[in-house]
Amino acid sequence: MTVVVAHKWAPNPQEATVAPGGTVDLSRAKPAVSEYDPVAIEVGRRLADAWGCELVGVSVGGPEIAAPMARKAALSRGLDRLVVVADERLSGAGATPTAVALAQAVGEVEDVRVVLAGDSSVDEGAHLVPSVLAGLLGWPSLAEVADVTADGGALVVERAQGSGSQVVRVDGPAVLAVAADAAVPRVAGMKDILAAGKKPVVELPLAGELPAQPEVVGRAPVPLAERGRRRIDTTDPDAAARELVAALRADGVL
Amino acid sequence: MTTTWIIVDEPGVAGLLDTARNLGRPTAAVVVGPHELAASTATAGVDRCLWLGETGDAPVEAFATAVAAVVADGAPGVVLAAARPSARALVGAVAATLRAPAMVGAVGVETDGDTVLVEREVLGGIARRTERCDGPVCLVVDGGGVPEPGAAVPVEEVTAEALAVRVVENRPSSAPQVDLAGARRVVAVGRGLKAKEDLALVDRLAEAMGAAVACSRPVAEGSGFLPKDRYVGVSGRTLTPDVYLALGISGQVQHTVGIRGAGTIVAVNTDADAPFMKECDYAVVGDLYTFVPALAAALQS
Ligand SMILES: Cc1cc2nc3c(=O)[nH]c(=O)nc-3n(C[C@H](O)[C@H](O)[C@H](O)COP(=O)(O)OP(=O)(O)OC[C@H]3O[C@@H](n4cnc5c(N)ncnc54)[C@H](O)[C@@H]3O)c2cc1C
Ligand SMILES: Nc1ncnc2c1ncn2[C@@H]1O[C@H](COP(=O)(O)O)[C@@H](O)[C@H]1O
Repeated sequence: MTVVVAHKWAPNPQEATVAPGGTVDLSRAKPAVSEYDPVAIEVGRRLADAWGCELVGVSVGGPEIAAPMARKAALSRGLDRLVVVADERLSGAGATPTAVALAQAVGEVEDVRVVLAGDSSVDEGAHLVPSVLAGLLGWPSLAEVADVTADGGALVVERAQGSGSQVVRVDGPAVLAVAADAAVPRVAGMKDILAAGKKPVVELPLAGELPAQPEVVGRAPVPLAERGRRRIDTTDPDAAARELVAALRADGVL
Repeated sequence: MTTTWIIVDEPGVAGLLDTARNLGRPTAAVVVGPHELAASTATAGVDRCLWLGETGDAPVEAFATAVAAVVADGAPGVVLAAARPSARALVGAVAATLRAPAMVGAVGVETDGDTVLVEREVLGGIARRTERCDGPVCLVVDGGGVPEPGAAVPVEEVTAEALAVRVVENRPSSAPQVDLAGARRVVAVGRGLKAKEDLALVDRLAEAMGAAVACSRPVAEGSGFLPKDRYVGVSGRTLTPDVYLALGISGQVQHTVGIRGAGTIVAVNTDADAPFMKECDYAVVGDLYTFVPALAAALQS
């Protein structure tokens, strides 16, 4: 029995620059393990420990994801080993080709009980890769998962539902996207980073054809409303408050 | 000619229908849920309405494979689903079966024969891109409200097998529901708020302003000061109030995309260089703990 966790090595678009024509420059945005994926790794570690089994990380993307820094960043967070598919064709890939490559990686791992994923990736932020992956595997997918336990051969999953929650039982394997607050991820120490360098990594060549990707035929900046950015100083908070109230009344929004 | 498919798992699908109608193709809905949902979908202006039968104790997600089979069999062009976890589970399976692109953030969709042109916001909303897809494409868009009823088409029941998932227990929330979408004024708090008790300060201001209270994501998920349905942004709510007052929110793009359509934006932040200060009408540089009570008082006088 194995627990698999899918994590992405991706840049944060907050650090990107966008040219007036809409071209995005991500060269100054340093890639990292995508914001919410350490939560999934943490949930996976606890589950693997509770079940006494192995925790295998899977990650797919461009050649940079196989670099030692990317491997160690993920492995030091508690994975036992890693399976990566690093291929130029997966650079900036959409949810479907990404999920196709992930399905290949998951297929290399034996006796998978559950695949965990993060809530959404920092760059694409689509909340879609886990459900496309589940579709490819023929397994159910559930999102906003707060907790997972085992009951015999079944998974007992607690997930958010509307503004409340729901307990769901899954017989057989599933893909579960964990909620952003499902666990507090551990901070990797020097010892974890050193140990990470010695953990096994399997690099798989991308097998088969990827599904067709859409062709980019136009780029544009986001048409943002022109905003006044009038600065209000609060050295005297009461005067500042009166100034703002007067301004909002003048704008007709109060 | 291809069919535009609409995936329905909840009543809020008016946004999908608007997009579908603009494409001028035959439309078909596949409904996962109780018969009433199928019956109301049948009056929403679609050409066909397929229903997978009562779901029993299976959650919507259990029908992902069944929905994918129905859509794959129905000459799909554009496949639309609402930005909700359950609908994403369904459309994800459709994309897997069709090996079709699955995308979010569409602001415009056009078809030309079998070609679909999608203009969408990418990378959390920092830029726009127009993409050409030769073949079916799955889009996750804002579900919107409940569509106006009109003439009905028959509900065609399809036998479907559910995946092995069952609901064991429902734990509804006791938190009061707030109509954020309808609020003309919104006061939102971010991590600048130090403790849950301090929400009292914000509530007093909101009351003086006649505003609803929203928040950034970490305040709802993380510190848990407010329920999850109150956070604004790319993964949360999109709001268009007349005035949005952001208290102690840094203004990262994943948050601000949710209020780009707001009338007036006020940002209150101790940091004059916080990103929100560049995307607002009034940049109040200061401590929310002193400014908020002063503002509440000024509103009352
Ligand atoms: C895929 C993805 C999706 C996301 N989706 C969303 C989303 O939908 N919505 C969302 O909100 N976020 C989302 N995020 C998170 C987002 O990137 C930011 O991390 C988040 O918005 C930051 O919240 P914040 O501004 O409250 O906190 P911080 O960034 O910590 O900012 C706190 C701010 O408060 C100011 N401050 C501190 N003390 C005071 C004081 N006393 N008075 C006044 N100001 C003070 C600080 O100067 C700072 O600017 C997402 C992230 C990812 C990766
Ligand atoms: N390239 C990738 N490699 C591994 N996991 C991924 C990849 N892309 C997305 N995921 C997983 O899917 C989740 C949702 O991603 P997204 O659909 O892009 O928002 C992420 O939090 C990851 O757990």
